[in-house]
Amino acid sequence: MVLKIFYPQCCNLANSGLLIGSWIQGHNSAVVLAVVHYPFIPGQVKRYIQQVSTASGVKLSVLGSWSLPSEAEKGVENFLRDLRTIFPQDRWLQISRKMGQTGFNCSILDRSQGTILFVHYDQRNVMLSQLHPIQTEELDPSDSELRQVFQIVSLSQPLFLLDRYDDGPLKSTHWQSGGQEASIIVELLKMASVPLCLTISCLLHLLPLNFLCSKLSTCVQLSYRSDHLRALSSPKTAVGHSEFMRKANVLVSILVDMALGFLLMYWLYSDNHISMLANALVPAADHVAKELEELLQWLMGAPAGLKMNRALDEVLGRFFLYHIHLWISYIHLMSPFVETILWYGGLSAGLGLSFALALLSDMVALLTFHIYCFYVYGARLYCLKIYGLSSLWRLFRGKKWNVLRQRVDSCSYDLDQLFIGTLLFTILLFLFPTTALYYLVFTLLRLLVVVLQGILHLTVDLINSLPLFAVALRLTRFYRLAEGVKFSVLCDEPDTPLHLLMEINPLSCASVIKTYRTPTYSCYPKDSWTNLVKKLFVGELIYPWKHKTIKTD
Amino acid sequence: MGPDSAPDPPVPWRKVLWERQPFPDNYVDGRFLEELRRNEGLRQYHYWAVVKEAGSVGQQLSCVAIFITVWLYMEQGLLSPEVLLLTSLVCAMLGYGLHQVLASTVDSGDEPRTRLADLQSAAIFLSFTYGFSPVLKTLTESVSTDTVYAMSAVMLLAHLIFFPYTQPSPPGSLSLNAALFASVCLASRLPGALHTFAMLSCALLVFALWPCLLQRLREKAPSQFTGVCVGMCIGGIGGLGSQSLVGAVLLALALGNVTFFCPLLLITLQRQKDNIQGPWDEAEIHEDLSHFIQ
Amino acid sequence: MEGESFTDINGTPIFLDCQSHSTFCREFTVTSPKVPVTKVIVFTCSIWLLAYAVFLFTEDTVVLTSAILITLVSMMLYVHLVKVEQETLFIIGSLGVQMSSSYASGRETTTFIELNKIKDIVINEAIYMHQIIYYLCVLLKDPSDPDAVSSVVPLFQSSKPRLNCLMKVYRSCQEILSKCP
Repeated sequence: MVLKIFYPQCCNLANSGLLIGSWIQGHNSAVVLAVVHYPFIPGQVKRYIQQVSTASGVKLSVLGSWSLPSEAEKGVENFLRDLRTIFPQDRWLQISRKMGQTGFNCSILDRSQGTILFVHYDQRNVMLSQLHPIQTEELDPSDSELRQVFQIVSLSQPLFLLDRYDDGPLKSTHWQSGGQEASIIVELLKMASVPLCLTISCLLHLLPLNFLCSKLSTCVQLSYRSDHLRALSSPKTAVGHSEFMRKANVLVSILVDMALGFLLMYWLYSDNHISMLANALVPAADHVAKELEELLQWLMGAPAGLKMNRALDEVLGRFFLYHIHLWISYIHLMSPFVETILWYGGLSAGLGLSFALALLSDMVALLTFHIYCFYVYGARLYCLKIYGLSSLWRLFRGKKWNVLRQRVDSCSYDLDQLFIGTLLFTILLFLFPTTALYYLVFTLLRLLVVVLQGILHLTVDLINSLPLFAVALRLTRFYRLAEGVKFSVLCDEPDTPLHLLMEINPLSCASVIKTYRTPTYSCYPKDSWTNLVKKLFVGELIYPWKHKTIKTD
Repeated sequence: MGPDSAPDPPVPWRKVLWERQPFPDNYVDGRFLEELRRNEGLRQYHYWAVVKEAGSVGQQLSCVAIFITVWLYMEQGLLSPEVLLLTSLVCAMLGYGLHQVLASTVDSGDEPRTRLADLQSAAIFLSFTYGFSPVLKTLTESVSTDTVYAMSAVMLLAHLIFFPYTQPSPPGSLSLNAALFASVCLASRLPGALHTFAMLSCALLVFALWPCLLQRLREKAPSQFTGVCVGMCIGGIGGLGSQSLVGAVLLALALGNVTFFCPLLLITLQRQKDNIQGPWDEAEIHEDLSHFIQ
Repeated sequence: MEGESFTDINGTPIFLDCQSHSTFCREFTVTSPKVPVTKVIVFTCSIWLLAYAVFLFTEDTVVLTSAILITLVSMMLYVHLVKVEQETLFIIGSLGVQMSSSYASGRETTTFIELNKIKDIVINEAIYMHQIIYYLCVLLKDPSDPDAVSSVVPLFQSSKPRLNCLMKVYRSCQEILSKCP
């Protein structure tokens, strides 16, 4: 049987004393947490261990003794053995260092001799790190050994509060913090955050943000951010690692968003960029309308050499041309106000870059409203034809769709039904290519706009969901987010037990993003590509950016 | 070891599977071929009866030919749409009268259509055709003439193939639809909207109403049926002959083939028929199962 | 202790190094040969010659620049992401199994599997392209059902040694695993 001793690196050169730590339940291993130096009064040590045990919730005990080579004299041997009677234990470890050896020696008293394995760990890193995947359960004997080691070390933080400079009866060696920097500022911020959070949550309760319509992406973004703020400003403190990370991520993403927004504002309002944009916008819309008009003229001729039904072609073309005419006059009616609208719209960037992008997406939607209209008309017409043709084709073959059985049944039609059905079938069949072409062209235009809006939405979504805090934590304090551990051989000498070094294996950046990304609407499943193509083929309207509502069940 | 070379066992073989017997599974005894039956339920055809039946096929062929003739006349402007409409009307009235007379002789129909329903149907036909004829006129404008002809030919062929010759009334939907599709295609090539209307009415008469009358005729007056068929055939050949001689000759050949040669072939080949049945056939259920299906 | 030469499934020589730290702790290192210089030269030259041929027709220096950039980037990516120089299996009795692979650029990825999650280490067969190969793998326990295998982690994935090499590693592994139940 191999006995594993997890030994903190900071205690390698500690003065002789008692080893304080914990036996791991269900495994043949021990975690050493600190060394209490000589001289001490046994009663005080016992009381201290009792106090720390109740404070931390870990069953601490005296594991054995630790001696440095300077005191390795004859009389010490007996003294160390006697110590055991003062602190009665099942197993008693005697760890000692000898001159000229890097490794430790260890002997177990009152036990059958087994091999011993030393695993050295960095106490600070292990204490601060969070092992992934995150488990929130309490200590469990059947749990994995490493997880228990991590949990014991992080729970026994009260033990590390005993400072090197404390002038108490006990002196001990363990990891010691170098003091908390700027603690006054942090405390002040903490004090200030409470009333701030309360006011924000009161304001959020007053505003009827829940009833904002979901059609405009600005409103969606607004309600989304208000959800974030509500989560942030809740008066309760974050419980557990994941909730804390979520709050921190949201806070950092809001701050970064706002910083980017202010940069944008700075650019917009300096050098009169707004009026330049406004002056460019109306001609651009005009240009788009002109291009559309040319496209329609081309469609009304013989596009790509296709022979289409002339009469229907002309009717459709005139209808759409009239629509464009309406659109152009609307744009010209709007043009004096564009600059003011842009000026006030630019203020939204103060709320964050994501707001500005969402507003831009809405503006694109409004400016390409004519394309959307064309698409809807084309799709409706096309859909009608497709459905008509499919049902009349069944009539043509003497079949019908049985709604009850969800299948095609044969059916005997009347003479007049057959006659009219065939007449309509012939008409629809010959008019179909014309409608299909119009539908195709307008769908392509619509897809172009949708792709543009999709890119904007993706950017907004990225800003909303990217776990910036977690990524920064991973980059600067790699040990905070651990995927696991890695071992390497520290020292392998013939007379001493094997010494391994346990290091933190940091979580890869991809899994950091995957674990900590803030859930947004884009996380929910959307239409698959095949489904989208099917919808396009049948002529159903597509709204790829439309978010599905979160299901409550 | 083949199935026949089993040793002579003391127990006789029985054709059952539920008990263990000292035979291989595929064993059969000598009585196996005793139950062989040949040509069960064979009906001996008589040549002239078959010819009479085949007359209806020839008659339908001639109908198509007559329709094409009418269309040819219309396209060349030899027949004005007014005349065609008038003729169609007269024919329709005559046919309707005949239909009524034949119906009244033996009153067996369970729910005869009322005059009002007939009038309603006629009104629907006429109004729809008249309303749609300008649309139909422009329908195939941009489609090439060859495409339209090919499409019509295929559809008329489909009409002939799928026509329910044994029971022409009510007409099979696929064959009627194919014929109507073809006539719409052809009618849209005519110069005016009235032409289209007249052509479609004619198509309705030939493809939808005429089979109904013919069916009634065949049930009630079988002796006249043969005469009508012969008349139709002659009419078809004659009509086509007035436009193209080659067409007429081809039609005559096809008619002769269908009505005289094909029955002869059937009778001759029937002698060669050798259809064996026996206990190896899959089981047939002879019991009346209709009371299960409720 | 001492190294031994083996071949991988394609016949390329690989080098297996067994180090025994204690009775219950052993380290196996499989070293693949370095990328041959001729291969690198041929690859670079072919791309540059192609780029130069295009340049002669188009007379556009962008082609040459992009060719050089593409070569550099693809080499760096190859060295950083594809080419594994060393694969190490570190088995510590009563603690677990650690697999690490170091890339030609020096990047190292490590995975440690605890012993209580491991069911067994076995040699398995797999169809790879058009041949059947053997590979060493760690069977992981299903937490809900101790008898079932939840997943399989293959070892020496990029060096792919032959059976005789795998047998050697397998025997030592089983020796250690049998000591610590």
